[in-house]
Amino acid sequence: MPKQIPWWLGGLLMSLLFYYTFSVWGANRPIGASTGMAYFSNLIFDLDTEHYEYASKIEIAGAWEGVMLIGAFFGGLFMSIFVTKTFHISYIPTLWKERKNRSVLSRMIWSFIAGFLLVFGARLAGGCNAGHILSGGSQLAVSGMIFAVVALGTGMITGRFFYKRKVIKDD
Amino acid sequence: MIDRIEHMFSVVANGAHGSVWTVLFIGFVFGAIILYSRLDKFEKMAGFMIFEDTLVPRMAMTTVALSSIGFYFMVQSGYATFDIKPTLLGGLVIGGILFGMGLVILGKCPSAFFVSVSEGRVDALVGVIGGMFGGLVFTIAYPWIEKIMGPDLGKIRVPDFFAEHGLLTVVIFSTVLLIVAFLIPTIDYKDPADFKEK
Repeated sequence: MPKQIPWWLGGLLMSLLFYYTFSVWGANRPIGASTGMAYFSNLIFDLDTEHYEYASKIEIAGAWEGVMLIGAFFGGLFMSIFVTKTFHISYIPTLWKERKNRSVLSRMIWSFIAGFLLVFGARLAGGCNAGHILSGGSQLAVSGMIFAVVALGTGMITGRFFYKRKVIKDD
Repeated sequence: MIDRIEHMFSVVANGAHGSVWTVLFIGFVFGAIILYSRLDKFEKMAGFMIFEDTLVPRMAMTTVALSSIGFYFMVQSGYATFDIKPTLLGGLVIGGILFGMGLVILGKCPSAFFVSVSEGRVDALVGVIGGMFGGLVFTIAYPWIEKIMGPDLGKIRVPDFFAEHGLLTVVIFSTVLLIVAFLIPTIDYKDPADFKEK
């Protein structure tokens, strides 16, 4: 089995999954993930729907995405163990070592901050890559397009300053 | 906490968006595609934004191009309904900025970091924990945050501006995305960690 599928096959398979999910035969709703993350956080910290307005707001959509994310976790686990065989405990991505540093502590602190920003930002915007860019874009939603431009633009600018310049290898 | 997890499944079971098994199946396939195309990797997502890899934009554009055509015909023939998120300008811009910064630093989006944990990545797990705190602060502060999220421009779609040419708009949009996806050069960051001999 190949270790990776090419971009066009990934895109094609993803759109087939989107057709199924979006249609009345599947879930009759688009795929999203970040509401599920907020739902998990309410669940872990025990924020109930009676006292917190936002918890009751995402009660239905969050539960759907929460269950979907549990499925996604096992889908990833299955593939990484049986197909790509890439499952191994790791702390720092290779590219981070190349362009940032080799400190585990630094990677962990930044991961925590970035994870915080991701979920907080996604909830503020009302969606993430899946909900806004993929599902929103597929429906030609204006909100998804604004989000895509702002998020990816900021990401590129941040990346320019956050990481070291690319080292040109002479081989 | 167990009762809340049970509650989560019962909400889905009683909802109108597929059975629990359907939703788990959708998630399973979603996670499998993310992992198999390596979208969960730092090198792919952060790599795209620092110009080391082009898988993410090409794959995303292909997905959106194909889905937009399919969605259009499905809605036209009554087999699906559009579910548009509201255009809350303040929330979109501020949220997008914070999200973009988080995205390039963590190198995974809120579904991919979950999948990434399943591959044994501890940094992704720390990201998820950070995300849990992000969700906590958001839920608690929501009554105040709500005030900066507007103005609400409504649930608008691009074809709304070209009412008589709905199909044409979708076709042009999709074609342009597909062409761009094919024209973007292939830059593939081969992670030596993935190709190690075991």
